[in-house]
Amino acid sequence: MAVSTIYSTQALNSTHFLTSSSSSKQVFLYRRQPQTNRRFNTLITCSQETIVIGLAADSGCGKSTFMRRLTSVFGGAAKPPKGGNPDSNTLISDTTTVICLDDYHSLDRYGRKEQKVTALDPRANDFDLMYEQVKALKNGIAVEKPIYNHVTGLLDAPELIQPPKILVIEGLHPMFDERVRDLLDFSIYLDISNEVKFAWKIQRDMAERGHSLESIKASIEARKPDFDAFIDPQKQYADAVIEVLPTQLIPDDNEGKVLRVRLIMKEGVKYFSPVYLFDEGSTISWIPCGRKLTCSYPGIKFNYEPDSYFDHEVSVLEMDGQFDRLDELIYVESHLSNLSTKFYGEVTQQMLKHADFPGSNNGTGLFQTIVGLKIRDLYEQLIANKATARAEAAKA
Amino acid sequence: MATIATSLNIATQRVVFTSENRSVHLTGPVRLNNPWNLGSRTTSRMVKFSPVKAAPEGGISDVVEKSIKEAQETCAGDPESGECVAAWDEVEELSAAASHARDKKKADGSDPLEEYCKDNPETNECRTYDN
Repeated sequence: MAVSTIYSTQALNSTHFLTSSSSSKQVFLYRRQPQTNRRFNTLITCSQETIVIGLAADSGCGKSTFMRRLTSVFGGAAKPPKGGNPDSNTLISDTTTVICLDDYHSLDRYGRKEQKVTALDPRANDFDLMYEQVKALKNGIAVEKPIYNHVTGLLDAPELIQPPKILVIEGLHPMFDERVRDLLDFSIYLDISNEVKFAWKIQRDMAERGHSLESIKASIEARKPDFDAFIDPQKQYADAVIEVLPTQLIPDDNEGKVLRVRLIMKEGVKYFSPVYLFDEGSTISWIPCGRKLTCSYPGIKFNYEPDSYFDHEVSVLEMDGQFDRLDELIYVESHLSNLSTKFYGEVTQQMLKHADFPGSNNGTGLFQTIVGLKIRDLYEQLIANKATARAEAAKA
Repeated sequence: MATIATSLNIATQRVVFTSENRSVHLTGPVRLNNPWNLGSRTTSRMVKFSPVKAAPEGGISDVVEKSIKEAQETCAGDPESGECVAAWDEVEELSAAASHARDKKKADGSDPLEEYCKDNPETNECRTYDN
């Protein structure tokens, strides 16, 4: 048995009590009744409002990679809370805190087994607590958030989350509950087609003992009804959807190595103006490879068009194929407009910085980086707007 | 018994006993009154305690393997039962956790100084000089 010592700073307030017991002459720190644990602790730290971003996707569909790209755009690496639970799902950087919504499971792994429900099922999740805590953080109030331990399948002791400048809530259900949805300043849905999901899970799991093509397939198929019922419908609420499909450049390709990726951007979202190719609002099909730029097989193809998505007006930017050389990436970047970059080549720089992340040579990496830049832009506009409003209020 | 509410921020030292694979929890007839040791038991929003399963020696890989076997057995009768679906969902959750653990191990395997310097290139210990 190993003995480890963990130092952590805990905020003690109304729900913690110091008790001196006269019989044993010892001082105990204890929590009140278990049911009061549902009431999270509050600690007001600053008056600045937090902006909240929601990222929805199924398990194994690239949420973690997206988060790493997003936090990188804001500068500084995101790390687990220092000195906390080593199995914490939270990532913290200077500006951004990413929390995993699995922490709001109301049923742990054994509870789900007993009740015969999946983690995708809303009955396995505590949306009341999720709403209360996200709302508190948005209003600048720290919370004690539970931790769902993915290794043991149990709920661990909660961790204190301070309100960050940007809070990202990622998981299966960020847009499921209307109250939580209304707290989001921007939302993203990663829509991975079944073919690609299968290919990605083979890549992820085939080396794992016990897994086979059959087990991977069986797991995807068993979860599909709940996925279709509870996760997939959230995409209609997203401000940006990244769709990942098999390529159309290679006939009958189903290897899932070359991808066709579509970035669907909602029109009319405050502080978010969609990226476009050549001429805003037109329909454009573009093959950058030709006389000026030589590409390796199977080449790259872009498409840009206005469209409608769940009755919303949207702009769709599509990339099929992959970058094999740096000049291809720069060439493409120089032809896209409204990228919200701070300098020429910033998209390329970000992609190169994380060349080892999955998808760095195709549309998934490109569009994730672009969405990251758009979120930075949205944040800066929001802050500037608030500063102006404050200045005007002071004048009046 | 005196009860004093406090609103201070204090650093508490927590002593946690765990085995390498986090499978050993304090059980048995004697329940020590040191709640910071109890982990999920004090804070779980579950109504009842779940039996803590001991993870086998090989860590998460063995758990994944075991969960697949269990799912296959559970589903032998009725592949559309809630039990079967929940069992395959557990396989997915564990497979994702195993994959994250592999990524983490890969990241931890790199040189700590290099890791530090990636984030803090301006510090003295990270500067490189040309002649």
